[in-house]
Amino acid sequence: MTAVAPAVSAPIAAPAHAETILSVRDLRTQFFTRDGVVRAVDGVSFDLKRGETLCIVGESGCGKSVTALSILGLIPAGAGRIVGGSVRFEGTELTTLSEAEMRRIRGNRISMIFQEPMTSLNPVFTVGQQIAESVSIHQGLNRRQAWDRAIEMLSLVKIADPKRRAGEYPHQLSGGMRQRVMIAIALACNPQVLIADEPTTALDVTIQAQILNLMLELKDRLGTAIILITHDLGVVAETAQRVIVMYAGRKAEEAAVDELFRHPIHPYTRGLMASIPRRSAAGRRSQVRGRLQEITGIVPSLREEIPGCAFAPRCGFAVDRCTREQPPFEAHRPAHFAACWEAARVVGTPR
Amino acid sequence: MTAYIVRRLIATIPVMVVVALFVFFLLHLTPGDPAAVIAGDDASPAEIEGVRRKLGLDLPIWQQFGIYAWNLLQGDLGTSIFSNLPVLTLVKQRLEPTIVLALATLFVAVAFAIPMGVLAAWKARSFVDRLVMGFSVLGFAVPVFLFGYVLIYVFAIQLRWLPVQGYRPLAMGLDQTLRSIALPAFALGMTYMALIARITRASMLEVLSEDYIRTAHAKGVAQKSVLLRHALKNAAVPIVTVIGIGLALLISGVVITETVFNIPGLGRLTVDAILKRDYPIIQGLIILFAGAKVMVNLAIDLSYTFFDPRIRY
Ligand SMILES: Nc1ncnc2c1ncn2[C@@H]1O[C@H](COP(=O)(O)OP(=O)(O)O)[C@@H](O)[C@H]1O
Ligand code: SF4
Ligand SMILES: [Mg+2]
Repeated sequence: MTAVAPAVSAPIAAPAHAETILSVRDLRTQFFTRDGVVRAVDGVSFDLKRGETLCIVGESGCGKSVTALSILGLIPAGAGRIVGGSVRFEGTELTTLSEAEMRRIRGNRISMIFQEPMTSLNPVFTVGQQIAESVSIHQGLNRRQAWDRAIEMLSLVKIADPKRRAGEYPHQLSGGMRQRVMIAIALACNPQVLIADEPTTALDVTIQAQILNLMLELKDRLGTAIILITHDLGVVAETAQRVIVMYAGRKAEEAAVDELFRHPIHPYTRGLMASIPRRSAAGRRSQVRGRLQEITGIVPSLREEIPGCAFAPRCGFAVDRCTREQPPFEAHRPAHFAACWEAARVVGTPR
Repeated sequence: MTAYIVRRLIATIPVMVVVALFVFFLLHLTPGDPAAVIAGDDASPAEIEGVRRKLGLDLPIWQQFGIYAWNLLQGDLGTSIFSNLPVLTLVKQRLEPTIVLALATLFVAVAFAIPMGVLAAWKARSFVDRLVMGFSVLGFAVPVFLFGYVLIYVFAIQLRWLPVQGYRPLAMGLDQTLRSIALPAFALGMTYMALIARITRASMLEVLSEDYIRTAHAKGVAQKSVLLRHALKNAAVPIVTVIGIGLALLISGVVITETVFNIPGLGRLTVDAILKRDYPIIQGLIILFAGAKVMVNLAIDLSYTFFDPRIRY
């Protein structure tokens, strides 16, 4: 596996001096099902810098959520586990930490927001209690202080009348408000890293932008680094500094956001771009938010080991070699990486 | 909430009227002349007539029911044929052992079943889970009286830790009462425990796969707190429902247990009354049990609002 060099020359990457806070190397996570081993994450590496926004994009089922859960050690023990690789956070190896040590990191220094705001909050506790719980666990605040902090967080995520809302249960709030509460819980302890797994996918189109903007605003204010997982390239264009395109548990392409949109290398990335509404010359998306459409063909079953390029069955550029040998993930342009044998030919072909 | 309780209490009136009707006609549905039934097999015609007049059985039937219902409303459950004592007095004498037995059984069952069910769900499909489920099958399969005799044999006769049978009233001291009620409570509690453990496991398994449990882990909540705080409260509604159903089933169990352990409670009173065909006592007990059942149901329904804020009355 090619080492991932920091995207130094990238146009809008994080400041060059920013230190790496989270470093994932050759991560492999598998599930052991009755039908066989599912290679959900199959050798993923990336770095996240302090305060940076990194997007991970790809079709459903390509291993984005499993990557996120692996970082936090939340792969359900009975179903699967991390079988290889390393996750280093501020120099500490997380994959070998004890459960108790890992708990001190979760929700405190690395937080996570999930896709489903309707089901991710506990229905039998007030939202105030659920925010207060985080700070009382990690910061040892007493009941009173934790409650005050909960109200403070609710107003930070711009929920009107936070004192009253704190005493309400999740079913009394709209989807957008629940996701704001999730953000409040996630940021309550000032984490260094926030992992947001499709935080707006389940929301109304009109609410999506509000939630994204809120996250980005708070990120800037608190200096949190964000890993934003999405299957929506529109979201990527609006939020990311750097992008990783994932396919079948592996990285297909990685670059700074403008570089990626201007010079996509991997045929899969090009396929994704072809399926969103055309963007204006300035690189800004048109008003219509397009969902990623299926590229012809299906995402491969991750149950069998794929010897060559996982995209080969769907790829218009595929040659014999693609089905036999796995393409190396390497730089094809400055600070722009892709895993494709035919990269030169793809780049030479007009979109 | 108060309005709901009042409504529910009003709704119990028709239920209790139906029970009273049923109980009243119970006597008249038994084959033969009620007066002859009550007077006994070897009564002379004159004695039967005496009974008839004394109990008002010569009056038109609707008038008889009217008198019966009027007496009921005033708390008069009738008079025992054999002892000539008011049924209410007899019930009061026998109430304490039965209530103590029922509460002790409930406590034993819940105190053991819920941790067992939670553990089994947490460690689903593990050895511990199979152990708990095996025990649960056993609890269902083995009849109460058999458990009773085994417990008596081991803990009373062999180990001599606890009394073989009998009941020590609370007036003799709580420790005495608890010692006398421990074995009966376990014997009776076994089936109940099996039932609650099973439903706790099933309900917890469902809750543990919910998204908000993953959120709790992602917040750094400790495993114990995830299980007992986040999951158990969500799993509570089916569990308390089964506890309520179990309380109703407890009545037949109480009869058997009080017989095995020679406890002078309502269960024994029921058996004796049935054997002697002391109809007023049987009638009074049915009304009492029905009333208790209605109240338990109401209490269970009200408890839902405590566990689940989405349930509002
Ligand atoms: N608990 C599980 N058991 C078995 N397979 C799983 C489990 N969770 C995820 N997977 C598999 O892992 C692969 C990646 O899933 P995921 O990371 O959720 O995809 P996405 O990119 O849509 O977030 C999928 O093939 C999925 O079926
Ligand atoms: S390696 Fe081959 S199959 Fe894979 S994307 Fe490139 S051209 Fe297509
Ligand atoms: Mg996902």
